[in-house]
Amino acid sequence: MFAWGPTIARASRSRLFQVPSLIALVALVIMAALTSPTASDGSHIFFEIGNLTDILRQVSVIGIIALGMTLVILTGGIDLSVGSVLALSTALVASLLTRNWVPGVPALQMALAIAAAVLACGLAGALNGLVVARLQVQPFIVTLASMFGVRGLAKWFTANENIDIGFGKDVAAQFAGIFRDKTVVIGSYVAAAILFWILLSKTVFGRHVRAIGDNPTASIYAGLPILKTQLWVYSLTGLLAGFAGVLYAAENHQGNPNAGIAYELDAIAAVVIGGTRLSGGQGTIAGTIIGTLIMGVLTNILRLNNIDSNVEMMVKAVIIVLAVAVQRKGRS
Amino acid sequence: MGLFLAENIAKHFGGIAALSAARLELAAGEVHALMGENGAGKSTLARICAGSLRPDAGRIELAGQDVILADPLDAQRLGIGIIYQELDLFPHLTVGENLVIGNLNFAEGAFARPKAIAEFCRPLLAQAGLTVDCATWVSSLSIAQQQLLAIARALSMNCRILFMDEPTSALSEDAAERLFEVIALLKARGVAIVYVSHKMDEIFRLSDRVTVLRDGKTIGTRATASTDRAELIRMMVGRDLDSAARSIKPADQAVSLAVENLTTRKLKDVSFELHRGEVLGIAGLVGAGRSELGAALFGIDPVHNGRILLKGQEFRPASPSDAQRRGMGLVPEDRKLQGLMLQMSVKENATLSVLSRVSRWGLLSAGAEKTLFDPAAQRLRLKPASPDLPVGKLSGGNQQKVLLARAIFADPDFLFLDDPARGIDVAAKEDIYRLISELAASGKSILLASSELPELMRCADRILVLREGRVTGMFPASDATQEAIMAAATHSFAEAG
Repeated sequence: MFAWGPTIARASRSRLFQVPSLIALVALVIMAALTSPTASDGSHIFFEIGNLTDILRQVSVIGIIALGMTLVILTGGIDLSVGSVLALSTALVASLLTRNWVPGVPALQMALAIAAAVLACGLAGALNGLVVARLQVQPFIVTLASMFGVRGLAKWFTANENIDIGFGKDVAAQFAGIFRDKTVVIGSYVAAAILFWILLSKTVFGRHVRAIGDNPTASIYAGLPILKTQLWVYSLTGLLAGFAGVLYAAENHQGNPNAGIAYELDAIAAVVIGGTRLSGGQGTIAGTIIGTLIMGVLTNILRLNNIDSNVEMMVKAVIIVLAVAVQRKGRS
Repeated sequence: MGLFLAENIAKHFGGIAALSAARLELAAGEVHALMGENGAGKSTLARICAGSLRPDAGRIELAGQDVILADPLDAQRLGIGIIYQELDLFPHLTVGENLVIGNLNFAEGAFARPKAIAEFCRPLLAQAGLTVDCATWVSSLSIAQQQLLAIARALSMNCRILFMDEPTSALSEDAAERLFEVIALLKARGVAIVYVSHKMDEIFRLSDRVTVLRDGKTIGTRATASTDRAELIRMMVGRDLDSAARSIKPADQAVSLAVENLTTRKLKDVSFELHRGEVLGIAGLVGAGRSELGAALFGIDPVHNGRILLKGQEFRPASPSDAQRRGMGLVPEDRKLQGLMLQMSVKENATLSVLSRVSRWGLLSAGAEKTLFDPAAQRLRLKPASPDLPVGKLSGGNQQKVLLARAIFADPDFLFLDDPARGIDVAAKEDIYRLISELAASGKSILLASSELPELMRCADRILVLREGRVTGMFPASDATQEAIMAAATHSFAEAG
């Protein structure tokens, strides 16, 4: 006879169920099932494939930024500039797509425009990393400064105008067509998530990232490449924010120097809800993905039930505090 | 007689007994010195008597009545004050604010009135000899001025008993003289002063009586006038010289590390030679420069002057990773602060410095990591429940073994071990001693800094003594005595010898 009691006990002790954020996600999904409006055939709208993939698409931009933010926070740092960097990326990519500078080869122009925008953002990140690592200025201050600086750069570059991407047949319109496609957006997020999961959990670099955040002094004594690691962490975060900007520009059909305001805070929220310590050293990519999904599912439930988006912010506030409080308790 | 009595005081920190049977008895108007080796429990006892630590057992009597000191304010209310070894000032407040904060004699309202603060503070600063305005920021004061401020704070408490934990350790001679005047003044007022110090000269100059602690127990109290340095040193180090010196002498006399006139922020003209397969012990009191020698050799403290020769080649370490590449290893003194990543696992901590050996193209191989880790764990008798356990959950001994594993994996030719057996259980100590002699036998050169003399006499071939950043003695372990080493460390060597 099959014994349910021990099985349940064993399952509840397994590692999966010791992740409070996963329990919260499961609880949210159950809540969604209970409150979801039903379609005419009686099925829950929440569980329709179209709705579930909508959630994934909606969280992809913040989700991609949050992957980089996880690494930064693991080193004991923070990156407040990602929203501005995203805006710079949208402006660059839209500008490079709407000018006729590679005549006749739309695919090449598209690839170059994306690469240039993403690389420029990587450089912005590298600059953050260089100042943090070399001049030893606190990451909060450094990235607060670049949050203003990069936003100014994006606005200056576009002269405060949005650069619209049309709906015709030119290269910009083709770009938008490809990169706002649900499969491409979700695929990009999944690919980036897998890449960063491997980077953090399976590489020497990832081990160094955690060690530096866990104990900076001991990292010096252990002879770890602190400068190089910090430089790469901020550069990668810049690259990811740049790529998120490409997706944003396609989705919204424009390069917008005012895009991404407060995205850094959404990303930080996803990271801490996912169980990463703001003081560094402890956290996972899986946790951040769960944190991102919690925010996305929550938004979806409230929208499906026609609840005011201001209420959504208040609920998020409660979730953030609860998530972190529960995880603190779990550790001690 | 009998202003204050603390007896049978015991205190444990995480399984380690800091105090087991400590006794301290004070009379009004006396200066009472509290002596003992590093780790004998002096600071712990002072803190318990001043209410900043709660004892596990024992009783405290003030003027014939049992008292319980719940916190420092409680002790202050009863007239017991303390000046800590580390300055406990608020650097971002003013001099005046530092004096009145938490002071029972100063009535604080909802608002701080600068005038009232100034009036309260002026006489105190004058007595302490600190000639700065009350509105000066503490962060702008020199260390010596900050010490004087700490003295003024002690005066402001208006106490009957004042504990001073190594008050002159950061003072210039002028400031120390000023402190001695303040002590004389307080003594004349009938205040009992407990003076915690290593410095024999000061103790013989200032104190009326001396209490000696050893291994958390009070060994005895003597009237200063009827004792001498030799007796105090004997009381401090004890008579039980149970451990024999290491029997294996270095067969190889090739000099592998030569240090010439090494001078850094904390070291002055340090010279010595280390042979292949030799264990060189480094003795000295807290602040004598033991750890600083490691920091200089390992590229952490910049070298101002002098040379380091590694196998005959000049070596100027730029960073720890540079030193590691040249075959130098270091196990730092403070496990938790300088050594371990407490949230990371045992295995991750052990392999941290040699990840290139267990990876290809930056990708870690779990199998290679296990192959590296498992035999070392066995060799060190490292027994965590699981190598994937966070290292913070291990006992001190196992934590120390993890750090030793990390250093040994890099296969260094030179290993600086900074107090590797501090605060760990006896069995783990034996494992570490065994490992040290194994490493030496395999041709490694080892520098072993320790605050425990018996440990040095047992493990080392020779013992180098440091005092205030200078070499004050070099003894072959075979004919070193604890008394001679202590004398060199406290520099009453000339007088005693």
